Amino acid sequence: MVASLGHIILSCIRLWVKISMTALTFTLKTVPAFKLNCARLTPNNLAGLSLTQIKSLNLLNTKNSAKVADFFDVTGDNAEHIIFKNSNVQLNFIGHKMSHGHITIERDCGDFLGAQMQGGTIVCTGNAGDRVADLMRRGLILIDENAGDYCGSRMLAGTIGVYGGIGKYAGFGMKRGTLLLKNQPNLHATIQDCGIHTLPFLALLFQSFGILPSKFSSIKSQRVQRFAGDLACNGNGEILVLM
Amino acid sequence: MQINGIQIDDTFAEAFNMRATRVIVTALNLKWAYHAANAMTGFATSVIGCGVEAGIERELSANETPDGRLGVSVLLFAMASKVLMQQLETRMGQCILTCPTAAAFSGIESEDQINLGKHLRYFGDGYQTSKLIPSNDGKAKRYWRIPVMDGEFLVQETTGMVRAIGGGNFLILATSQTAALNAAETAIDAMKQVPNVIMPFPGGVVRSGSKVGSKYPKMFASTNDAFCPTLKGLVQTELSDDIESVMEIVIDGLTFDDIAKAMKVGIEAICALKNSSVKRISAGNYGGKLGPHHFKLHQIMGEN
Repeated sequence: MVASLGHIILSCIRLWVKISMTALTFTLKTVPAFKLNCARLTPNNLAGLSLTQIKSLNLLNTKNSAKVADFFDVTGDNAEHIIFKNSNVQLNFIGHKMSHGHITIERDCGDFLGAQMQGGTIVCTGNAGDRVADLMRRGLILIDENAGDYCGSRMLAGTIGVYGGIGKYAGFGMKRGTLLLKNQPNLHATIQDCGIHTLPFLALLFQSFGILPSKFSSIKSQRVQRFAGDLACNGNGEILVLM
Repeated sequence: MQINGIQIDDTFAEAFNMRATRVIVTALNLKWAYHAANAMTGFATSVIGCGVEAGIERELSANETPDGRLGVSVLLFAMASKVLMQQLETRMGQCILTCPTAAAFSGIESEDQINLGKHLRYFGDGYQTSKLIPSNDGKAKRYWRIPVMDGEFLVQETTGMVRAIGGGNFLILATSQTAALNAAETAIDAMKQVPNVIMPFPGGVVRSGSKVGSKYPKMFASTNDAFCPTLKGLVQTELSDDIESVMEIVIDGLTFDDIAKAMKVGIEAICALKNSSVKRISAGNYGGKLGPHHFKLHQIMGEN
């Protein structure tokens, strides 16, 4: 009884801390003339840093690197939830190697979204560039519009959802993991059709989407066409196309 | 103590520490969820010969199960964690994996986790895949998808194991076999509404209560002759002249309070029967030296 009461109080405190903290928000000031590497702007790298520290952070590990404040207005204090506002195709490597937390991208993002990701969640409400989730190991990426070429390339595991269209060579070199698509993709030869099925695990997956600010949160149907691949890499990965 | 003319003996039920787990079994419909759960809890009446004592706790509606299908919750109890793990894996493999459309999920939170589908996944012969899916509390849980002939078998990797109590019981003494069974059925119907408990014997009722030891050296338990009506003249009997039949209800539960509540609800249901021909309610114990938990009938029924 005492233990459970303590537990309740502790969860209340945690909840209060969560509510009282606002998401760390990066608002893009101008459209950069070149690709901007955002690999450092993840919950893993920003935890425990003050706003001043974040603003003066070098985007790259070079002497003359641009600083965060050169391109972004930064507000908020909760590094577990990062928001990119005014985002566009020049922002590469968002969520690179992240292992926990949540990133919301309002509008488009560039290439290598969630590359080498090891956990956590990324929601992109616009389009994503090429090589989404390259070498991803764990976690979830949901894209509300289109994704470019080589989506899920060399993926080791994890889940990617693309609500719009998808480019060429989806799942190229994919070992395991799931690519969930709303529209029929144009697939290459080493991804093979396994037919149309009702998959029970999708009920659990869709439930976990329910709280996310994505078009995927409204999906209910567990009926999918299943493609397995990449057969050049054992073929334990799958591309599921929602019916 | 008397309730509605039925004597409640001043005695106690003696119960033991056990390990328990809960598994949620779902299927396409309740019929197949029951097929799976009945198979899984079959031949699980007593730890003496079955390894575990298991039973169906209750039905679950679609919004109470992880995958949004209808299901039932199953409780399994064993004397030691090792036996529980072994039995759970065997029963999962032979009863849930095999049952059309069935899926199994963890039904209890605990620090101690035991394998549900962790080893079962190798049935997939390399085609099994796992998914780490966050649940409502934010913690990610691993599920295995095993390709089978009816589609895909979905099973959570582990379930929780908790400390529990087994062997709560009471005896129903009546003037006829029909009356004793009738009363037992009434009690079971009421007790099935109590959460966190199972009555593991056939229909929830056991007719072969045992005592410790036997005249045969190799037997460590034998018939409880003091409560056998046909031996009234032969042994030091516990039965009065009018008692012709005795039924026992055994209860395993997650906590002491759960079992005490189930006993109270069951005995109350019997006492509320009209013209039941039940004369006495008693309980089985071994003198209080073997089991650490004592369920005193008078205390449970509200008298100190």
